[in-house]
Amino acid sequence: MSKNEILEKIYFNVIQGRFRAHDEGIDEGLKGQEAVSDLVTKALSDGIPAKEIVVDALTKAMGRVGSKFETGEYLIPDMLASADCVGGAMDILKPFLIKDGVESKGKFLIATVAGDLHDIGKNIVKIILKGEGYEVIDLGTNASADSIIDAAKENNVQFIGLSALLTTTMITMEKVVEMSVAAGIRDKIKILIGGAPTSHEFAMQIGADAYCSDAFKAVIFLRQNSVS
Amino acid sequence: MQIRSGLSGGQYKPLTKGDIARIHEASLKIFAEVGIKVNCPEAMELFREAGAIVDESTNIVKIPRNIVKSLIRKAPSKITLYSRGDDSAYDCEIGGTSVYLGTGGTALNVQDPGSVESRRSELKDVMNMARMVDALDNIHFYMLNVYPNDLSEKNVDVNRFGAALNRTRKHIMGGVYTVKGVKNVIKMAEMIAGSPAKLRKRPFISMVTCMISPFIIDERYGQLAIEVARKGIPLVVPSEPLCGATAPITLAGNLVVLNVDTLAGIMLTQLVNPGTPVLYGCVSSITDLRSMKYLAGAVEMGLLNAGASQLAQSYNIPIYATAGMSDSKVNDAQAGYESALTSLMVALAGGNFIHDAAGFIEFCMTASYDKLVIDNEIIGMVMRAVEGIRVDDETLAFELIKETGPGGHFVSARHTRRHMRSEQYIPQLSNRDERSIWKTGGAKDTHARATEKATQILSEQLKSYIPEDIRKRIHDNIPGIQPFIME
Repeated sequence: MSKNEILEKIYFNVIQGRFRAHDEGIDEGLKGQEAVSDLVTKALSDGIPAKEIVVDALTKAMGRVGSKFETGEYLIPDMLASADCVGGAMDILKPFLIKDGVESKGKFLIATVAGDLHDIGKNIVKIILKGEGYEVIDLGTNASADSIIDAAKENNVQFIGLSALLTTTMITMEKVVEMSVAAGIRDKIKILIGGAPTSHEFAMQIGADAYCSDAFKAVIFLRQNSVS
Repeated sequence: MQIRSGLSGGQYKPLTKGDIARIHEASLKIFAEVGIKVNCPEAMELFREAGAIVDESTNIVKIPRNIVKSLIRKAPSKITLYSRGDDSAYDCEIGGTSVYLGTGGTALNVQDPGSVESRRSELKDVMNMARMVDALDNIHFYMLNVYPNDLSEKNVDVNRFGAALNRTRKHIMGGVYTVKGVKNVIKMAEMIAGSPAKLRKRPFISMVTCMISPFIIDERYGQLAIEVARKGIPLVVPSEPLCGATAPITLAGNLVVLNVDTLAGIMLTQLVNPGTPVLYGCVSSITDLRSMKYLAGAVEMGLLNAGASQLAQSYNIPIYATAGMSDSKVNDAQAGYESALTSLMVALAGGNFIHDAAGFIEFCMTASYDKLVIDNEIIGMVMRAVEGIRVDDETLAFELIKETGPGGHFVSARHTRRHMRSEQYIPQLSNRDERSIWKTGGAKDTHARATEKATQILSEQLKSYIPEDIRKRIHDNIPGIQPFIME
């Protein structure tokens, strides 16, 4: 396979949402054929630079997936399957990107705040963000403000994403913002919030940077506010 | 786009087996003891030859039960009403409990997109309605739905069929008005098919004449039925008994009248041409007892047609049933709920060829362009209901549930992707946006969105489905054809 053929195949399989050979795609009859994980490994062993794989196959494919979603052809589970492929590919590519001195898009700390155990929405956001090429640090559910601030400092993150589904737990979001000021890191990070009871008004009221009604709003915000 | 058609209904059964047997028994007694009135001499002669007892002073024909039974047994149990598409997606394989829904006929008025008024229908409306049906995926066939008031009667048949044949490849059924018209429509269809034999092999047109309730085979309609049956073109001789007017007020009494009427029509076609494709035909409904008007959107109409579907199934004859209309004058909530209710009832009862289910308001007198778009959505949802719930290892998803475990989610499961497009009906008209997005889009209600869609379909370039040389032959050889329909 030529370089272009491999990149083209990675692009195709990301759109199909196939990470491993046994995954099925949108089209019939793909099950059993090479998928993103095998193809990325092959591309690297053929000497294709990791950055080219990211830019010419993965990012390009997610762009196409995004437009399919916009037109209604793709549904959220399709987006997630494709984002999952990119996330998996990034895990394979990470050491090569570091070796080549390519900087990641940034570190994103994500958590469902203290008192709240709802994490389906947070997990979806996580898949989408990984698919966008961010390094995601997941603190899981029921995360206290202290643990969030500690992890943010330790990992030197640029973004914090907070999720809540219960009105009673929204208070922790405000606490995280306050503590980030006290810790002296508020100006180095962007704080994004989301979840059913939250709103743009609430985000502004507690001093967060953005309210995101869904994962795609988060992506839009990040594209406008990322360093690289 | 997934098109659901021909799925198996029959889940809804308003009649028990015992009920069906009693209606059948009452019908046989009427044939033998009351008789039917046959005002068509040729038809009367055929019944006499078959062994019926004919009274020439009254035109009453009494038919012994064994003759009734043996004649209706000659009718085929399955009929394919073909489309002319590249694949068989729109072929209607009717019989048993397979379900198809489409337009019906024949209204005298139309309601233009966005309008709440109505105007007299013209030939161009036959053409434009065909274009709508062609573009709306869930409407399975085009029954010629409006009358061209701008033509003289002798030219109506060829122009109605011609206008439709050139603008949609879905199956076309139509009421017919003159014997000469029938002959010329068949001639035109034979040109399109390539030969008379090819048309008989894959009939993409079918015809409707009618009985007069209660119990009359009219001279003119009898003659039309004989002509169509002789030509071997699929046919339905439906009956439209109305509770409290031309049938008893009771639904069971209506079904007895209906059954006698349509079985009489079926017998006539089998006498003319044994084995000729014929449908059991039900247009039963009720009357408004304050004005004696025919009603189209009554829930009793749904019950009657669901019951009739069971009767047809018991005779093993495909049914032409009725559902999905409204008595409202505009596309309001009444238009929606009346149409949805009766379509759902009759489809779930396994009505095969359910006509009138797209586009009709105002007692079946007005065909609305916007309503076609709305009914396209209703039919889509109805067909999903007919499909039912699939239960097997794959859909029970035990392994997946086990793997996902408590607190897990199914959003990104491969299983979700594999089934999400087929398990859920994907709306074409309904709005599921959040309020803010819906507002940004202009806060349009269902009617406004339907108008947009109808306007868009009608603004598209005209498509022609008949090759140019055949259009020219039709134009040159079929008398009375209006040139614009063959453009």
